Amino acid sequence: METVTKTPTKENSTEDIKYKLIAENVSASYDGIVAVKNVSLKFRDRAVTALIGPSGCGKTTFLRCLNRMHELAKNATLTGKVLLDGEDLYSNKVDPIVNRRKIGMVFQKPNPFPTMSIYDNVACGLKLNGVKDKKILDEVVEGCLKMAGLWTEVKDDLKKPGMGLSGGQQQRLCIARALAIQPEVLLMDEPTSALDPITSQKIEEMIRELKKEYTIIIVTHNMQQATRVSDYTGFMYLGDLVEFGETKQIFENPRNETTAKYVQGQFG
Amino acid sequence: MITPEQRAEFRKHFRYNVGRRIVLDKIVKVIVFSCVIIAIVPLVAILINTISNGAAALSWQFLTEIPGAVGSDEPGGIGPAIQGTIALIGVSSLIGVPIGVMGGIFLSEYGNNRYGRTVRFFNDVLAEFPTIVIGVFAFVLIVLTVGNFSLWAGSFALSIVMLPIIMRTTEESLKLVPVTYREAGYALGIRRYRVVFTIVLSSAKNGLITGILLAVARIAGETAPLVFTILGSSQFISGLDGPVDALPLRIWRLSSLPYDSAVTQGWGAAFILILMVLTINIGVRYIFLRSKEKRIIKLRKLGAAS
Amino acid sequence: MTRIIDPHLENLSQMMKQMCDLSIMSTNLAIDSYLGKQNARKEVHELSSKMMDLYDKVGELTFEMILRYSPVASDFRLIRSSLEISYGFTRLGRYAYDITLVRDTFGDLSECKNEVIYTLSGEIKQMVQLAVECFATLDLDKARELRTDEDLVDKYYNKHLPMLITLSSTKCALADALVLRYMERMADHAAFVGDSVNYIVTGARAYR
Repeated sequence: METVTKTPTKENSTEDIKYKLIAENVSASYDGIVAVKNVSLKFRDRAVTALIGPSGCGKTTFLRCLNRMHELAKNATLTGKVLLDGEDLYSNKVDPIVNRRKIGMVFQKPNPFPTMSIYDNVACGLKLNGVKDKKILDEVVEGCLKMAGLWTEVKDDLKKPGMGLSGGQQQRLCIARALAIQPEVLLMDEPTSALDPITSQKIEEMIRELKKEYTIIIVTHNMQQATRVSDYTGFMYLGDLVEFGETKQIFENPRNETTAKYVQGQFG
Repeated sequence: MITPEQRAEFRKHFRYNVGRRIVLDKIVKVIVFSCVIIAIVPLVAILINTISNGAAALSWQFLTEIPGAVGSDEPGGIGPAIQGTIALIGVSSLIGVPIGVMGGIFLSEYGNNRYGRTVRFFNDVLAEFPTIVIGVFAFVLIVLTVGNFSLWAGSFALSIVMLPIIMRTTEESLKLVPVTYREAGYALGIRRYRVVFTIVLSSAKNGLITGILLAVARIAGETAPLVFTILGSSQFISGLDGPVDALPLRIWRLSSLPYDSAVTQGWGAAFILILMVLTINIGVRYIFLRSKEKRIIKLRKLGAAS
Repeated sequence: MTRIIDPHLENLSQMMKQMCDLSIMSTNLAIDSYLGKQNARKEVHELSSKMMDLYDKVGELTFEMILRYSPVASDFRLIRSSLEISYGFTRLGRYAYDITLVRDTFGDLSECKNEVIYTLSGEIKQMVQLAVECFATLDLDKARELRTDEDLVDKYYNKHLPMLITLSSTKCALADALVLRYMERMADHAAFVGDSVNYIVTGARAYR
């Protein structure tokens, strides 16, 4: 396959650049299909990185490798290293559950727990991990709902069932739920693809706010969304990372021909 | 591209005898409805039959007294039988429900391998087992070893009958819970067993309750296993160890007697049995499945008042 | 596979081609008529108006494409540069018109020798031709050539403009000064076209 084309970083490489999450030579497969082929990426702290690519190029699988959700798939295999703050996530000494609490995930289709109220949904991660202090739970729930931009809409109805909200509100509820366990990294798998444009816009604004404190990695089909929301973009095709760089550069002047063809819609 | 001329050409080939299709539609509707009615008729007939024949025997004495001497003027009642059935259902559920639900959880969450397939196969075989064989098995295992007929032998046999039903329905209900809820749980860093017990199980609540109620209704009416294990008696329960009476058993005994009064009592007992199963069904649903909304409404009212 | 944006890009390309032809025509006509002591004001004015019309149309088309299709990468660079280049061409037309106006402003200039202008005229005409070819073929070598040419024109301009004081006729000196000025500006805009072509091909902006 074609070689990876990377932009040289502007800063001097001897400087201490804050990379929150580093993936080194990650290859993954499930059910016999090789989905990710030797991808190496570095994700900057307090920045949004987008992964784009056509369907089936392995971006969702790669995302799941970052918080050890991939191993739950059928016949899943994975090689390579994923370093969070320098520590290998896949080493035998580390409990996968602990890492999943540091790296939160939001899924494509909003999936609030159906039998729980809004409050319980957000507090679920905390409660089931042993937090019992009601005061702390209240504080966290309020803080997370405020960050997700949902507090003013639901503050009087916290005991209502989570499934009673609209699609966009449900997705924001899921984001609040993911934030409640105080992660450091937030992974988002096509978070707005099932939502209407106005809700998507609200969620994009929210991402821009969250960027100040979290590292966010977003997989998206929508290239306009990638240009609006992300600082860095990686293009994946057939399991390979084809090009990675600043969003402005990828979309204004892509170095790789496949990337140029994809972003301009010339893929067959 | 299909041109307008081609479209017109193709349309000519459709069948346009709409009249015939409307008639056919109506005929099929009638057939389907009549099948439904044919299916319901036996149920309604049984209910009417039971009520009309058994109503004569109903009275407070009937429900609470012990059976009197056969053929005498004081026929007594079926009190012990009612108590026995309730006790049997209770103890069997105590054994069968936890094991069945756990088994269902195993099959659904951890059973996608050869071991799980084997367990599933044996479960299906057990579900089809003739219950009289199960009764004989309990007889040999418990009654002969211990030396007497007993309540817990009967419960043991009945729990074997209810186990495969609960396992199967639990597994099916759990499988219906979409994978995304489990994934959301894992992504929050919640351990697997907590995800299953807190999130998945509560989502599958409806199916689970239905399965359990089905099993309970089934065993409430099972007679064959009881024949070999509880013996039946004319006294109220004296302990887990002693023989006990049950409604299906009593109905069978009463209806085989030549006396009219006994037969009427048999009908009455049958009516009571049907009533019991219906009450369990409706009651449990009301408690488990409606309660949450009612509790929420209550809390809101309290909140508004304070 | 034709994308939705392709017919519009084709349309844009046609309009740019027209503007290219018009700019060459107006430049040549203006310079030749000045040196040949003829009045071509009306013709050049017509050409210049046509170019302004086309520029308006190009502006509308490019913004509509950006609004509707959110083009990226080379599409985007092409569209953005087309707008800049078409503006450059309107300036060429405008300066060509200004050159033809000089005769009207100063009246009869038959005795002027126009040596300075004569020397430079070939260079300017060639530069405009080169700019058009550069855009048509997206040739980076031509863009580089345009830059060096523009340097030369600048040097020539800086050297010869003060020397016009020495001319005997004030009228001729002023007329020549104006035309020299206009031609220097035309050279500038031709070089800007080269810069835009460089942006289309490499994505690098030239900051002036």
